[in-house]
Amino acid sequence: MSGGLLTALAAITLTFFALRLAAGDPVASLLSQGLTTPEQAETVRRSLGYHLPILQQYLFFLGNLVRGDLGVSLYSGQPVSAIIGSQLASTLQLALVSLAIALPLGILLGSASSWKSRPAAQRSATTLSGLATSLPVATTGVISLLIVSLLARGQVRGVQLWLPALVLGFAASGPFARAVHSGLESTLSSPFILAAKARGLNRTRRMYWHALRPALPAAIALIALEAAFLFAGAVVTETVFSRPGLGRTLVSSILQADFPVAQGIVALAAVLYVGSQVVADGLGWILDPRLREGR
Amino acid sequence: MGRRLAIIWLVAITGIALLAPWLSLNPPGQSLFEPLAPPGNGLPLGADALGRDFLARMMYGARLSLLLTGLAVTVTLILGGLAGFSAAIVGGRFESGVNWLSNVLLAIPGLLLAMLFVAAWGPGIAAVVLAVGIGFAPSFGRVTRTIVAKLMGEGYVMAAQASGGNSLWITSRHLLPNSLPQLASYAGTYVAWAFLGVTTLTFLGLAGDPSIPEWGALLDSSRLHLQSAPRLAAAPALAITLTVLAVHAIAKKDPLA
Repeated sequence: MSGGLLTALAAITLTFFALRLAAGDPVASLLSQGLTTPEQAETVRRSLGYHLPILQQYLFFLGNLVRGDLGVSLYSGQPVSAIIGSQLASTLQLALVSLAIALPLGILLGSASSWKSRPAAQRSATTLSGLATSLPVATTGVISLLIVSLLARGQVRGVQLWLPALVLGFAASGPFARAVHSGLESTLSSPFILAAKARGLNRTRRMYWHALRPALPAAIALIALEAAFLFAGAVVTETVFSRPGLGRTLVSSILQADFPVAQGIVALAAVLYVGSQVVADGLGWILDPRLREGR
Repeated sequence: MGRRLAIIWLVAITGIALLAPWLSLNPPGQSLFEPLAPPGNGLPLGADALGRDFLARMMYGARLSLLLTGLAVTVTLILGGLAGFSAAIVGGRFESGVNWLSNVLLAIPGLLLAMLFVAAWGPGIAAVVLAVGIGFAPSFGRVTRTIVAKLMGEGYVMAAQASGGNSLWITSRHLLPNSLPQLASYAGTYVAWAFLGVTTLTFLGLAGDPSIPEWGALLDSSRLHLQSAPRLAAAPALAITLTVLAVHAIAKKDPLA
């Protein structure tokens, strides 16, 4: 937990210095685009604290961060926390619906790729989970949009939530499928499954009632990794489907050189990742009694 | 995708990339035709929204996409390789420092990390290449360190150390030749990731110039004409998909597995 906090802090620090040192003076870009006069630029610089030494700026930044103040956008002047707040719900909705698709789909694909008795199903499940992990979201997104728009001939519906969630959920199901598959492969050959077979339990019950349970914590623990993946995927998905959200805001803030906004969103992603790791550890603890007893 | 098919596809697009100026019938940047002209009449894929030969743009796109991918992978392999080798060889506090830094960097997904660097440098092609290269370097650094650290425990390396070989000698004589085959088997996945990273960032418009003939950028600009000219989006989408699948089919090991 404390290690996680330290990692998040380090990631935020890195974000701060990368943006501030490499990019130099953020106000300069406003100047060069003719959006401010030199006199105004100086006022903006002072009001944002850019005239202070970098270390002092960093300490101020951290202090404000703890109080939930992420600074203001260089363009709209709106507080970054308000911008994030207004976009967060949309991205969260997309990520949660995608996760709700990815988890069962991943468990299905992962277990189906262990169905030794049905080679055809096994092979197609393995192929599908391979496609899920390797295909870029940008192309699957555009292809799905293409197919839907050709089928629907004009009137395209479901593009706001279901199609993007399906695309992102499919991509996110790959790691789940892999974790479930490798978990099943090891438990299916263990003695308690042989015992269940000897007691006459059928294949489906053996796989889904006995073998899947010890394989699940590994898949659940992946939710932490998936949270970060879903966020990165949301950046692309939101762009493909022109859906509002943090991802699109991040892209436009980068294109406009609006550093406080970009910094706030990346910092949020790092905190989110670390937080979900803690949650995943807790879930694993609940699901797998072996972890509780410290065995 | 079968390995043979994958090799054929990759050889084909590499050939097209190299020979693009001779293979294409029209220059990729000039508006010579009706906007969105349908396929036919020396225009196998028709023209784009600005009346440019789309097949020519796809061919030059292969050139740019593959070149940028190659450059980005080189950055990843050099940075990650250097960090991994030096961490494993020097050991001690330096090693734990490098490990810690890579853990921090891995806390941000590769794509977001790359976007962070583009944000710092401002959009542009060079920024995309460097950002993607750096974005995946922590992961390759970790793979390298694990492989080299394992070699460091081998008997022949310890024998070389005991007989007074300095670390430069041990690296060039033992560690490098013995780790290269393993590293190479992972490299394929990094090629796939770099390709994915480059096309994704250009798709998001982070190369700065939306008119460059590059597959990600072509996919992006074609999105506006999904209804009227679906072929414009289908061609780059298909090219990107096939390339990713082909590289994965050839790559032997996946660092995540």
